[in-house]
Amino acid sequence: MTSEIWTEKYRPKTYEEVAGQEDIVKRVKALTNSMNIPHLMFAGPAGTGKSTLALIVVKDLFGESWRDNYLELNASDERGINIVRDKVKSFARTKSLGNVPFKVIFLDEADALTPEAQQALRRTMENYSSTCRFILSCNYQSKIIDPIQSRCAVFRFKLLEKKDVTKVMKLIAEKEKLEIDEKGFEALYEGSEGDCRRSVNLMQSTAAVSPKITKDLVNTIISEAKPKDIKLVLEYALSGDFEGSKNKLLDVMLKESISGQDVIKSIQKEIWNLTIEPEVKVKLTEKTGEIEFRIVEGSDPFVQLLSLLASFVLAGLGK
Amino acid sequence: MKTWVEKYRPQKFTDIFGQDEAIEKIKTYFEKFPKVKKKALLLGGSPGIGKTTIVHVLAKETGAEIFELNASDLRNKSSMTLKLKPVLEQVSLFNTKKLILVDEADGVSGTEDRGGLSELISLIEKSPYPIICTANDAWGKKVSDLRKKCELIELKEISPAIIKQILKNILEKENKEVTLNVLNKIAINSRGDVRSAINDLEAASSLDNPEEIEIYERNKKEDIFQVMKKIFQEKADEKMLGLFDKVDMPLDEIMLWMEENISKVYSGIELAKAYQRLANADLFKGRIYKQQYWRFLVYENIFTSYGISASKEDEKKGFYKYTKPERILKIWLNNVKHAKRKTIAEKYSKKTHVGMKRIMSEWNEVKNILKNPLVQKELKLEVEEIAYVMKY
Repeated sequence: MTSEIWTEKYRPKTYEEVAGQEDIVKRVKALTNSMNIPHLMFAGPAGTGKSTLALIVVKDLFGESWRDNYLELNASDERGINIVRDKVKSFARTKSLGNVPFKVIFLDEADALTPEAQQALRRTMENYSSTCRFILSCNYQSKIIDPIQSRCAVFRFKLLEKKDVTKVMKLIAEKEKLEIDEKGFEALYEGSEGDCRRSVNLMQSTAAVSPKITKDLVNTIISEAKPKDIKLVLEYALSGDFEGSKNKLLDVMLKESISGQDVIKSIQKEIWNLTIEPEVKVKLTEKTGEIEFRIVEGSDPFVQLLSLLASFVLAGLGK
Repeated sequence: MKTWVEKYRPQKFTDIFGQDEAIEKIKTYFEKFPKVKKKALLLGGSPGIGKTTIVHVLAKETGAEIFELNASDLRNKSSMTLKLKPVLEQVSLFNTKKLILVDEADGVSGTEDRGGLSELISLIEKSPYPIICTANDAWGKKVSDLRKKCELIELKEISPAIIKQILKNILEKENKEVTLNVLNKIAINSRGDVRSAINDLEAASSLDNPEEIEIYERNKKEDIFQVMKKIFQEKADEKMLGLFDKVDMPLDEIMLWMEENISKVYSGIELAKAYQRLANADLFKGRIYKQQYWRFLVYENIFTSYGISASKEDEKKGFYKYTKPERILKIWLNNVKHAKRKTIAEKYSKKTHVGMKRIMSEWNEVKNILKNPLVQKELKLEVEEIAYVMKY
């Protein structure tokens, strides 16, 4: 059954179909041919083909019975290593089906695990190494502890080039009978920051409105999708209306269900669009960085954001 | 040997200082009963200012027989009825007056004394005798139903000057002496609580060198509104560091109250400073959890109390309306509203090999896709989930 979700419908099914990443594909394919892969680690930005390649590897290894021999876990969703361990245990207990002597576990977003959890994962990898191979994916290789890195063959995925993403989109556009001009493709690519999966999602979202996709239509969809009110929050604060700014912030965060980290990202970008002195921009950026650090460190995002808004109020007063 | 508090408990109205107004009202009520607007009295006021004493003196002076229920009696519905019913139904042998005192009505426990207060309320309506209740927190939620049935008389806290006079009288009778300095300290630190002042005096006078006595501030419960008023409106003072100990509320919750109300009083630079200090407190809170290093609590406390208070230039006179924190409620309501988003993301996640969290954060980019009926069918969305997708 083909999917109606384009990212699935048009997900590459063979090594040859994978966009970009030629070197990696070649090496991984060679490994798989030997029928005995080591643990693999795919590091790189989102939407560059990590999950796709992992799926291709398992399908190549197990053929039709791939579903019985493959477990997919997402480290940022599965809270705590214990759940991961339990699932791994019950999955690895039974023997693999077919000629391959092991099963494969794909652990997505492995860098979401704390260092402690990673230590536990390392033990798990060792304990089940005879029956299980891990494919780990992460955005940042440096966030994975060394002992795990040294147990894996590491592959660094590059951000896809514009021409690669456009090629993918053009193929889909043709099959889905969409009418998109060059500017439209460009807008889709820019809007998704080089993330191929997001470009395809964005294209399908736009196509849901009209099969004729233009730059303007794409930008309308994008601006709708972005927390547009962040600018308003900042403007309230700069004008000295703290209460208004605070209420708007909570409103935006709740209505759009966006996290404190998403908000701070938008604020950091939005500072450039404000009509304030360059010196003030630098100061506010400094403050924003400090607040982002605190949020990442585990402080209450809302309280921290309020203190950032307070800095904007001060900047508005010229202090 | 009796303690001084017992020994010098007022026996007649003229012994009671600083409550003339309340005494007049209570006398009038008692004389007029049962031709009164409300059939019971509720005496409100902080501890040690004479609520119970006044009622006992009233009984003594009018020759009434007093029946007392206090916090030590179990006051659930059946035991309350058991104790009070006979009193209410029997006519006194010598036809003397009767008076019922329900002491510390707000101390009735919610679980063990279940039904006690509502029973009391129904007794009040039927009672042929005056019922007087006392409560520390006459405006509390616990006694709100009771309050409606009662005439509320609020007793004033006793001024340090009057307390000093009371203490001097006792010293004279005991033939003891303490320095004026100690006397002043006790009077001020008692914060209107005569009972605690007399206890402190007794302790001080028994020492060889009373100067040495460290009269710590009485642990008087303060409510969060008073605390906010002090922090936001009064000049920053080291004493504020102990303020939160007196509030019956965890610090995390106090911080939410602060967050909600800073902007009610402060503006401009003061406001910005105050929020930055609250954020600092929050930073240390996070560090405590992370490192399990509890000394950081000191910083969390200082920033939340003294830090916020010191953000202003001058005292803030006047009345400010403080409100309950609403953020948590709003978040909760929002979570309920968007609960479906999570279940949908879960289904979508299984189909597309993408983490649930990522889908939630890219919701706006995929929601149009989810409006496609074929996609809905493919993901096996339920009716409510489809309704949610179409709406948001």
